[in-house]
Amino acid sequence: MIGGVCRWIAAVVLLAGLCLGLGPVSITAAELADELQELVDRALPGDTIQLEPGIYEGPLTISKGIILKAARAGTVTLLNRSQEPALKIEASGVLVAGLHIIDEAVKESPSVLVTSGGVRLEGLLIRTGSDGIVMRNADEGEVSGTTIEWGAADVRMADKGNGIDLYNSHSVRLNGNAIRDVHDGIYLENSDDTTVTGNRIERSRYGVHCMYTRGTLIRDNEGLLNVTGAMVMAVRDVEISTNTFMKQNENVNSQGILLYDAHDTLVAGNTVEGNRVGLYVELSTGNRIESNAISYNFIGIQLLESNDNRVSNNRFQGNVADAQARSSADNDLNGNYWDTFQGIDADGDGRSDIGYAINPFFQSLTGKRPAFQLFFQSPGMMFLEGLYQSERQSWTTDRAPLMAPPHLAEHVGERGQSGSATGLAGLLLLGGAGAMILMTRRRSI
Amino acid sequence: MSSSFHVAVREVKIGFRNPWAYSFMALFALFMLSLLLINAQGYATGYSGVTGTMLNLVLYLLPLMTLTLGSFSLTGDKEDGNWELLSTYPLGTWAFLLGKYIGLAVVLLVIVALGFGLTGLAGWIAGGGFDFPTYAKLLAFSVCLALLFLAVSMVAGALSRNRWQALTVAVAVWFFTIIAWPPVLIASLGMMPYLWIKPVLTALTFLNPAELTRLFTVVKLGGGSMLGPEYYDWILWIRKPSGTPAFLLVAALWTSIALGIAHMLWERGRRRV
Repeated sequence: MIGGVCRWIAAVVLLAGLCLGLGPVSITAAELADELQELVDRALPGDTIQLEPGIYEGPLTISKGIILKAARAGTVTLLNRSQEPALKIEASGVLVAGLHIIDEAVKESPSVLVTSGGVRLEGLLIRTGSDGIVMRNADEGEVSGTTIEWGAADVRMADKGNGIDLYNSHSVRLNGNAIRDVHDGIYLENSDDTTVTGNRIERSRYGVHCMYTRGTLIRDNEGLLNVTGAMVMAVRDVEISTNTFMKQNENVNSQGILLYDAHDTLVAGNTVEGNRVGLYVELSTGNRIESNAISYNFIGIQLLESNDNRVSNNRFQGNVADAQARSSADNDLNGNYWDTFQGIDADGDGRSDIGYAINPFFQSLTGKRPAFQLFFQSPGMMFLEGLYQSERQSWTTDRAPLMAPPHLAEHVGERGQSGSATGLAGLLLLGGAGAMILMTRRRSI
Repeated sequence: MSSSFHVAVREVKIGFRNPWAYSFMALFALFMLSLLLINAQGYATGYSGVTGTMLNLVLYLLPLMTLTLGSFSLTGDKEDGNWELLSTYPLGTWAFLLGKYIGLAVVLLVIVALGFGLTGLAGWIAGGGFDFPTYAKLLAFSVCLALLFLAVSMVAGALSRNRWQALTVAVAVWFFTIIAWPPVLIASLGMMPYLWIKPVLTALTFLNPAELTRLFTVVKLGGGSMLGPEYYDWILWIRKPSGTPAFLLVAALWTSIALGIAHMLWERGRRRV
């Protein structure tokens, strides 16, 4: 429905653009379509094609190194109704900029397919019914300033395509893109040394999803309302820094950042707020998790069967449960701030002299019998956890927690004041209660 | 109905003369304010550390308060001879118990309102506190909890001969439903076949007003995903707008059954006298 309305609005806007741009001469879409593929085929490598405003019918294949630009950004639309990719790029050195690509059919082939290296895509707007941009064996490409949205109605998240999907494409740069309502926002598989910076991914399954990658840099991205912000699996030497992942809490498998089978990875300076689990680490070794602000999650950090990781200088604040850990005793937890922990600092070095041990009781209980997850943070459960103190030396322990929260460069979300509504409601309740007491005390009814 | 009203009015009047009501009121207000102070910097919205702690502390205090106030009121009438006096009037047990319930509910709700009113106002003035939807949900949680446990306290009061017995029963009920619930269930369900655990646990949760209300509130605060994939259908169901009336229906059913049992016990006592 919404897709339909959007399409209709898009069409009207485009028609308006068409009239404005071309003045009295009007060209129909069909004419433009033939013209476009012909235009591209006629061009020599290195040529620049400036497209006049209008709707061009796809599919379009670029098989030589040309530059294809909209004369004015946002006025040129490539409309594809076929089952083929709307735009197929088969030559290196191609630059496509400023186009709107409307490709809303639900199909197998992606909206933009890149199969050669060194291709640049800039400032595109893609409405897709499959994958937005797919790169196959395309090294050193770049996608920047591009918006990718899901364009088809009534498709379950599991059946949607990815926003940007890389396979065996190394050293690709993905900068400043906005991706909404797709399956995985950015999916990287077997693609090393990729740079993912300044992207914003919303309402998708995973924000950034890495599988079998090395040397990936994930920096300054924002994830909002996805199932998981950054899903980092089977990787090595990845850097995840100064990202913001918020409100990934709707799904029973939601996390802010997930590390699974990740090694020698740096997770630093991220803001992880309001997720189901802030930071989930499983079967991962040799990672450094530093200076992250992990706030208002249901669980701050979860360590499962992970060892030799260094977790330091993080700030855990306002989480329902700070931490859960199982079979993860050999990590170096040191100097984090846990707001529920009251330390003792006799020597005044700002670090507690007693450690903060993470009680493994609930985690091991629900690991064996997930049904008991119902007791999460119930008063009786906390009582029971307090009683369970056996084998304390094998618990995951922060040896010297910080006494005061560290100052972290943090992205501050929409965290307003309590507002007058609560205050007025409080006043009303207080007044009502007071009046009730006075009434019954004074008058004899 | 009018006799119920008279009993209720009398109950409210006695309630606000009762020093217990005021000490509980002071305790509740103090504890709500200290909770606000603990989280002075924190801003509470949805299911977070602050609201989680708040839920738990309310669960510790409010049911115990309700159980003692309610059961003491009933046994007090037995002990002080009020009930014998009232028995000489044309007053049915139903009217009496219903009046008692309504009157005590008013007293409890005033206590809760005072505590929440103070927190809301203080939070607003201090520039922290709760955002309104969270505040409203926590208030609704406390009200539901108080009303459900008040029904239980009627049973406890009808069951007991005097205040001492009532205190024992009240504390026992409180301990079992709040503290001992997970340990007892984990121990007993742990011996059952794996596949039985979830259905039995779900069914038993309906028997414990504290758990029922807590889980409903956690889900409504947006923390449902925390309960894991096992309860996905339940979470979806509660989160729908129709989840609220359904919960209210369950709560009403709960209250009526508890009052019915109280009525039965009271009638038995009446015949015995």
